[in-house]
Amino acid sequence: MKKDLIGFWGYVDPEIVKLNKKMYPDATFIDLDVGTDAPSSKIVPDSYCKIIKNIFDNAFFYKERLIKILAPIGKDKCDSGFFAANILKEFGFNVETLFYEVIAQDYSKLNTPISKSNLPLKKKIEIITANIIDLKEIKTTQVKPRFGFWGVPPHDLSILELFPDDTHVYGWTRCVEANYPADINLEMFVDEGVPTVFYAQTFCAKNQLAKYLADKYNGLYVDVDGIANNSVKAKIEAFLKLR
Amino acid sequence: MSKFYLDAGTTWSKILEITDDNEKKYSVIKSSSLKDFQNIIFEKTTGHNFNHVQKKEHVNEVVALVKGCEHLIKPDGIVLDLGSRDIKWAKYKNDNFSDMDWNSSCASATGATIEMLLKFYNLNVSDLEFTKDRYSVTCGIFGLEQIMDDISNGLSAKVAISKFVHGIAFNAYNFTKTPEKIFISGGFCENKCFLDSLSYYTEVVSIGRFVLVDGLSRLPLC
Repeated sequence: MKKDLIGFWGYVDPEIVKLNKKMYPDATFIDLDVGTDAPSSKIVPDSYCKIIKNIFDNAFFYKERLIKILAPIGKDKCDSGFFAANILKEFGFNVETLFYEVIAQDYSKLNTPISKSNLPLKKKIEIITANIIDLKEIKTTQVKPRFGFWGVPPHDLSILELFPDDTHVYGWTRCVEANYPADINLEMFVDEGVPTVFYAQTFCAKNQLAKYLADKYNGLYVDVDGIANNSVKAKIEAFLKLR
Repeated sequence: MSKFYLDAGTTWSKILEITDDNEKKYSVIKSSSLKDFQNIIFEKTTGHNFNHVQKKEHVNEVVALVKGCEHLIKPDGIVLDLGSRDIKWAKYKNDNFSDMDWNSSCASATGATIEMLLKFYNLNVSDLEFTKDRYSVTCGIFGLEQIMDDISNGLSAKVAISKFVHGIAFNAYNFTKTPEKIFISGGFCENKCFLDSLSYYTEVVSIGRFVLVDGLSRLPLC
């Protein structure tokens, strides 16, 4: 089978993306974080972060077509990413491990127009993640935040449809838009007084931050394993309605 | 013409009728009989079983709960609603809605389980009495196992189920983050053993099982 895919997860340094596009001009980049219909690889425990499960499931599903996997393993991703990279190497994947731990020097100069725009929340997050590989400049209208969504792109994107368009994006997703995925200060930033939902994928270490920040800023902490059930959606809906 | 509001619970449904003279009439029916109410168009519904009736608007249960009792829990109070299959609470701080939680994923330690146990052991809810002992019902299924073990070892079913109810009350107290005072809504308001068990830990104010339909009636009409 022809090898025509470059897998990646998390945030990949734009220079590395550029280099790989030059080296493999015909290759298609595939985000292994994102849930697909790939069957379970049964590598990680059943009770484990759904995003890491997606990485394994997708990697094994596309194994014959993958030229390589670009694998961030530093503070820009997580320990699970580090372990996943090494396990995949053991299974014969061509894994290129990466660190991108640059910290912002001047927070007043951060450029995060999509996070602060009036686009639907789901669209905001889809654009930010798509921009990791194919940066597209789009015109946005900036709005004051009525609500906030803090966290990583959820496995189940449907929860984002509950939020109004004047919801700002915070947390790791905003760090990605700013090109500082490992900047803890930026990751912990939210606008005080803006009712914010602090989201983490169940079994992810970021639950620690999400719970802490929700308590600190009087927000709503939610964690979801895979598909959000009605209870979680109703909680978010009630929070948005009552705050 | 009267206006009707429905809290369509898993086992029991609560109906509020407000007549043209503003008289309020409350009733409780089995949710399995909701299909017999097709001739009524409810102004608003809440609860799991709303799909069986005609309605103008469906409202989130936590919103209905808060609207039904915010005049009681303001400025700094907490309300817990414990029903057949779920448990939810909402809290006010400094006159503002501040926190909530809702667990409907596991129904093994809620009202439906108690009703099932009472039926199985041929008891009434009024037979249950507060006991200082309690089972750990972190998981209701394990709680059931303890009940059955104890009964087979000679404990009366009445005491065993009371210990189980105490376990649920203890869980409810922890689920709501150990408040000093708590308002209780829902079917458990009619379970004295539960209220007495919860009172062992905190001050309890029972506000009845019609809080959600009252909340629906306080929301603006479509």
